[in-house]
Amino acid sequence: MNTQGNVVEAHKAFAEKSERDLIAAVQQGDRKAYQTLYQTYIGQVYALCFRLTSDQALAEDAAQEVFIQLWRKIGNFKGDSKFSTWLHTVTSNITISYLRKQRGWWQRMFNIEDSEAMHHAAEQQTDLGDLEGYVARLPERARIVFVLHAIEGYRHEDIAKMMDMAVGSSKAQFHRAKHLLKEWMGYE
Amino acid sequence: MNKKDFEADLRTQIDSLDKSKQPERDLWAGIEIALADEASPNEISQQTQRSDKPKIYAIAASVAFVGALTWFGMQQSDPQIGGDELIAALSTQHQAQKDALLVKFQDQPALTENWQKQLEELDEAATAIKAALKQDPNNLALLKMLQSVHQQQIDLIERVHSPKWRQI
Repeated sequence: MNTQGNVVEAHKAFAEKSERDLIAAVQQGDRKAYQTLYQTYIGQVYALCFRLTSDQALAEDAAQEVFIQLWRKIGNFKGDSKFSTWLHTVTSNITISYLRKQRGWWQRMFNIEDSEAMHHAAEQQTDLGDLEGYVARLPERARIVFVLHAIEGYRHEDIAKMMDMAVGSSKAQFHRAKHLLKEWMGYE
Repeated sequence: MNKKDFEADLRTQIDSLDKSKQPERDLWAGIEIALADEASPNEISQQTQRSDKPKIYAIAASVAFVGALTWFGMQQSDPQIGGDELIAALSTQHQAQKDALLVKFQDQPALTENWQKQLEELDEAATAIKAALKQDPNNLALLKMLQSVHQQQIDLIERVHSPKWRQI
């Protein structure tokens, strides 16, 4: 390996060790360390919350809820996977659960999301930039499935469990999302 | 523009999405307040693991009771078979569950000192119900009473040894 490669590897190893130490300190109850962990990851957590909710206020509340619940859950993190991967799963589960509680999951799923009012509200999201804006315009179930599958890389089987739906429904919602995106991006 | 172009374009745009986005308001202050009285994550994790075991015992007891009632219901259609075996099975199952909990909590201080007296009183109640069941072995109301007394004993043992109670 060349010198530059060694430096990169060393830097990566150092960063991983720092993160492990930080997590260990948090697990022991070090609140300063938790604030550092918050500052490190709030951007990633909020970005995911925002994509899942497509609503600034809901995303902020959900991100806050993630860091409250993370304190209670982080003692279970054993380092079997990358912390960021584990954190994204925790964030997705908490945000979906938060959405259910906040707006009435079934009502949102079956009555509201296709209504004129929701459609009109979604059209206001087009100032977010190309794909980001289009994703925000997607109907809720289609949006959550698209974000989790296409952007976060979850399998439909995992998404189905998270959203308490059939695997086939997850695939159908993904297909719906892609169809709408294709239309909005001018491919149809 | 064809489907292939769309897939490639979509993938390119997904890859170029920002991985991070900052919230407009400060969220930390609220998080800090919410966590002010929380124990450390490791302590919470240990408490959760401890409190999960009694839940398993409770589920096992419920499953056993439902199974026993089903069996009892089936037996009722046959007048030659009484409920003695069912009562014996319920008592054995409950005693095993109670013993397991008492062993589990034997080194743990209890919240109240008279919990064993309360346990004995519930034992006496169970004995009285069993005596009544001997006279009327197919009485479903008495069986439910027996199950309720058993459950009260389990709840009592768990409650007086619960970490949450000890923190108050």
